[in-house]
Amino acid sequence: MTSAHVEPVTAPQGAPPAERATPGRARANPARRLIPYAYLSPTIVLVVVLMIVPIVMVVGYSFRDNVIVQENPVFVGFANYAKVLTDLDFLAALKNTAVFISVSTVAHLVLGLAFAMMLNTQLLSGVTKAIFRIVYILPWLFTIAVIAVIWRLLLDPAGVVNYVLQTLGLVQEGVNWLGDPGTALWAVTFANIWSGYPFFMISLLAALQGISADLYEAAAVDGAGPLRRFLNVTLPQLRPVIVSMAVLDLIWTSQQFALIWMMTGGGPLNTTEMLSTYTYKQAFSEYEFASASAAAVIVLLLTMVLAFFYVRQQQRER
Amino acid sequence: MTTRATRLKRLIGAVTVAATVATVAACGSGDSGDAAADGTVTLEFAQWWGAELPAGDFDKIINDFTAQNPNIKIKLLSAPYASTKQQLVTAAASKTLPDVVGLDGAWVNDFAKQGAIADMSKLMTDANYDSSQLASQIQLDGKTYMIPVVNFVYPLFVNKDLLTKAGVADVPATRSEFLDAAKKISATGDNAKGWALPLDTAVPNGIQNDVMSWLWASGGSMLTDGKPNLTSPQVKSTVEFVKSLNDAGVIAPGSLTMKEQDKVEKFTNGQVGMMIDSLAHINLIKKNKPDLNFEVAALPAEDGYTGKRGIPYASWGIGISNSTKHKAEAFKFVSYLMSQETNAKLSTIANGFPGNKNAEPDFSNSDPLFKSAFDIYKQGYPANEFVGLPKAEDLMRSFDEQLQLVLTGKQSVDDALSKSQESWTSVIG
Amino acid sequence: MAGVKRRHTLAKAGVVTGLVLGGLFAALPVLWMLSTSFKSNGEVFQNPPQLITEGFSFDAYREILGNGEQLRFFLNSYIVAGAVTVLTLLVAVLAGFAFSRFTFPFQRTINAVIVSVQAVPPITLVIPYFGLVVALGLYNTYAGLILTHMVFTLPYAIIMTTAYLNTLPKELDESVKVDGGTGWTALWRILVPISVPGLIAVGVYTFMISWNEYLFALTLTRTNDMRTVPIGIQMLMGQHSYEWNQMMAMSILGSIPVLVLFLLFQRRFIGGLTAGAVKA
Repeated sequence: MTSAHVEPVTAPQGAPPAERATPGRARANPARRLIPYAYLSPTIVLVVVLMIVPIVMVVGYSFRDNVIVQENPVFVGFANYAKVLTDLDFLAALKNTAVFISVSTVAHLVLGLAFAMMLNTQLLSGVTKAIFRIVYILPWLFTIAVIAVIWRLLLDPAGVVNYVLQTLGLVQEGVNWLGDPGTALWAVTFANIWSGYPFFMISLLAALQGISADLYEAAAVDGAGPLRRFLNVTLPQLRPVIVSMAVLDLIWTSQQFALIWMMTGGGPLNTTEMLSTYTYKQAFSEYEFASASAAAVIVLLLTMVLAFFYVRQQQRER
Repeated sequence: MTTRATRLKRLIGAVTVAATVATVAACGSGDSGDAAADGTVTLEFAQWWGAELPAGDFDKIINDFTAQNPNIKIKLLSAPYASTKQQLVTAAASKTLPDVVGLDGAWVNDFAKQGAIADMSKLMTDANYDSSQLASQIQLDGKTYMIPVVNFVYPLFVNKDLLTKAGVADVPATRSEFLDAAKKISATGDNAKGWALPLDTAVPNGIQNDVMSWLWASGGSMLTDGKPNLTSPQVKSTVEFVKSLNDAGVIAPGSLTMKEQDKVEKFTNGQVGMMIDSLAHINLIKKNKPDLNFEVAALPAEDGYTGKRGIPYASWGIGISNSTKHKAEAFKFVSYLMSQETNAKLSTIANGFPGNKNAEPDFSNSDPLFKSAFDIYKQGYPANEFVGLPKAEDLMRSFDEQLQLVLTGKQSVDDALSKSQESWTSVIG
Repeated sequence: MAGVKRRHTLAKAGVVTGLVLGGLFAALPVLWMLSTSFKSNGEVFQNPPQLITEGFSFDAYREILGNGEQLRFFLNSYIVAGAVTVLTLLVAVLAGFAFSRFTFPFQRTINAVIVSVQAVPPITLVIPYFGLVVALGLYNTYAGLILTHMVFTLPYAIIMTTAYLNTLPKELDESVKVDGGTGWTALWRILVPISVPGLIAVGVYTFMISWNEYLFALTLTRTNDMRTVPIGIQMLMGQHSYEWNQMMAMSILGSIPVLVLFLLFQRRFIGGLTAGAVKA
C-alpha cells in the first residue's frame, strides 16, 4: 500500500467549530459530549482492532524467545534487540534503506514538480495537456508485482535497455544492472522512482492550480522573470504541500517490500537489502519470529520519528 | 426533548455504522474442514502442484478419489511455489494449517519441530499401511513427516546445436570437459555463454540445484554424521570449479540475481549452452521453442571419478497437518496418491519419477528424453542433502552470500567455506 | 513584439520537448509490457528485441478472458475495491466531520494516531495480523480483505475529507440548524453534496490503492475464488517458468478499470485535490 502520496492539511482547530461541546451544556447532556466520538467510532474501532492490537502483539513477540515455533516462549528482555542491532546485515539494510528512500523521495519531488509544471503550462491546449496527463500517470496503474517483473525484463543483461545503450554505443557490452553489486541499488531505486512519481505529480499539479493568478500578475508587474516568479511565488506557495508529501513519501518508500523482493531479493551481496526484506527473511526463512519482531519494532520506531514530523507539520497548518 | 431524542438517534446512527463495519466480519465463511451433517468430510489440500500441471489434469486425479470415496471431499488450495511456502508458514504459526499439505523437503524439519505436521509413521501403523512400497520417506528422529509423491531429477541439459557449433563432439562427462565445452560455446560469439548459475537470494535454491549438485555427482557430501563439513577437499574442489567457470567468463551475466525461471528462459532461447535443471522442464522448453535441439545427460563428475553418481532431485512431498480433525481420512487420501496406479499416472503427467517403487511411469507418449533420464536416474542414486535439514533455505542463503563474495573476487574460497561452516554449525552443529 | 512572439514559440517548443521526453520515460516500459503481451513466450528474450514479432497474437488475452478462474480474480477485485471505496468514504466523512466541526478532548491525540497509522510498515504486521484475522473468522473472506484495506486507505481519506470540509464555511451548517436541523442533517443534506468533487478525489485514490494491493491480498486469502488481480498475475509466475505474455496481458487488463476511472474523473480528481490543498 505504498504508491501514493498525500495532501497536507487537516486543521482540527482550523476554524471556529460550529458545534462546541461547551462544559455547561455537556453537564446537562452527557450524550452530547459523546457526539464527536460517535462520529469517530467506526474509525476508532477499525484502527484499534486491526492496527493497535497487532502492533501490541508484535511488541510482545519482540521480548520473547522462539515465539510461534515453540509452545512456551520465554521472556528475554532486550536480547532480541541487541541481536538485531549488532547484526551487520541489519546495519547494511539500514544504510541501503536510507539511500533508497532519500534518493527516491528527492527524485519523486524533482520529477513530480517538473512534470506538474509542464502539465500546468498556459502554452498548450487543454486537450494536449489531458493526453499528456494520462501518459504521465501510466506507472501508477500497475500493481507492484508487474512493475518488478517488467523492470527485470527491461534491465536484463540481454534486455531492451542494454540493447538500446549498445546500439547507441554508450556501453560496450550488456550491463548487468541488477546483478552487479555496484549498480543494483541504483537500478531498484530507478524502478521505484518510475513507479512512485505520479501521485506526487498529481498532488503538486492540484496545488499549482490552486495558486491564485493574482500572485503571478503582481510578481510580473514587479518585473520578475520566470525564475524569480518560480522562486518567489510558486515554491513558497507549494512549500506546505511539498514538505508533507516529502515526509509521507519517505514513510511510504521505507515500506516498499514487494518491489525489492521480486527484483533482487536483497542481493547481490546484500547491496539492496532493505529493512523490509531483512525482516521478511528473519521471519519466513530463518523462522526467527522473535528477532523479526524486534526488527519490526525498530523499523516502526524509526518511521514513527518521520510520522512525528508529519503530524507536527500537519497540525501546524491552520 | 425532541431535539435531544433526535440527537440521540443520530448518535446511535453513527454508532450503528461502526457496528456494521465491525460485524461485516460476521458474514465470513464458516467452512473449516469440519464434518458436515451427512458425515462428509472436506479436506483442504494446499499445494503448488496444480499450477505446474497441464490445466485440469490434477483435478481429474482428485475427482477419481472423490468418486471412490463419496464421504470425502477435497478442496484444492493452489498457489505458486513461493507463496505456498509463505502461506504455510503463517498458517502453521496460527495453527490453521490445511489438512493435507504439499511439502518441499527443505521445509519439513521446521514444520515438524514446530509441531505443525503430523507423525505419519503412526498413521501408517494405524492404517496397516505397507510402507515398503514407498521409494523414500523423510524422517526426523525416526518418525516420518513427509512422503515424496513425485521426484524430479536435475540432469544436465545440453544444447546440441550450440555444442556442435562450438566444435565439441561429445556431451561433457567430466568437470574439465565441461569447462572446455563451456569455454568453446562462449567463444562462438552470438552472446551465448556456456552455463547459467542462478544465485538470487530471494529463493536461494540455486545452491542446491546448481552448486551442490556438482558435489553430489562426484559422490561427495557436505555433511559428516549429520554435521556440516564444508571445509572438506571435495566441497572445496566443487566451489573452486564453479569459481574457475566464473573466472573463465563462461557463466551467463546476471547470475547474482538470476532466478531459476531466468535460467530456463536463457537456455530455451539459446543464450546458454548448458544448464542443470529439472527434468520437468522438458515439456516447457519444447512448448516455447519447438525446434531447440537438446538432450539430457548425467552431471559431469570430477576427473577420474568412477563411483556411482548422486543425481540431485527435488520432490513434491506430502504431509498431514497436526491440527486436522480428520487424520485418518487425510492419510487415506495420501495413500491414494501413493498407490501404484495413481502414482504412476501423476508421475507421468508431471514428468517426474514415482514415489511408489512399484509404479512404472508410462513413457510411451512422452519424450524419449525421459526414458534416457530414467536410465541415468537408475544408474545413479538420488542425492539432496538439504532435505530434512533445519532452516534449509537459510543454510542455502548463507552459503549463497559467501559464494557471491567469492565470485566477485571479494573473498577467497577457503575463507568463504570456513565462514559458511561457522554459520551452518550455529544452526545444525 | 516579434521578439516576444519568438520567445513564446521557443518556450512552447521547450515545454513540448520536455513533455515528450518525460512521456517517453513514463510510457516506454508500459509500451514494452503491451508489446510482450502480444508475443509468444519463446519470443520474449529474442535478440535483437522487436516491438512486434512474427508470433503476434491475441492468444494471451483470449486465454485470460476465456478462463473462469482468471475472470473471478477480476470480479473479486471489483467487489473488494468497490466496497473499500464506499466504506472508506462513509467512515472518512463521519471522521472528517468530527475533526472539522467539533472540538473535543483528545482530538489532537486521536488525529495524530490516525495519521501516524500510515507509518506502520505492513510487512511487520503480517504475522500477528494473520493470527488475528483467523481468530476473527475473517480469513479468506471478502470482509477480511476489505477491512484490512480500509485501515490503510482511511488515514489519507480522513485527512482529505477533513481538509475539504474545512474549506466549507460554517454558515452552511448554521443555516440548517436555524431551521431546526442537527449536525447530522447538515452533514448529509448540505456538506456531503457540496463535497462531491473532494470525495471523488478520495474515492479514486482509495480504489487504486485497494485494486493494486498485494501483500495482504496474498496473505489473507487461500482459495482462488477469493483472490484479487495482483495475486492472479503472480500466479502466472510458476516455480519454474513465467507465462510472460499472459502476465503482461493480465496486468494490461487489470490497469484498464483504474485508467477508465481516472479518465472519467480526472478533472474532478485534480479539482478535488486542489480544493483540499487550498486553506479555508
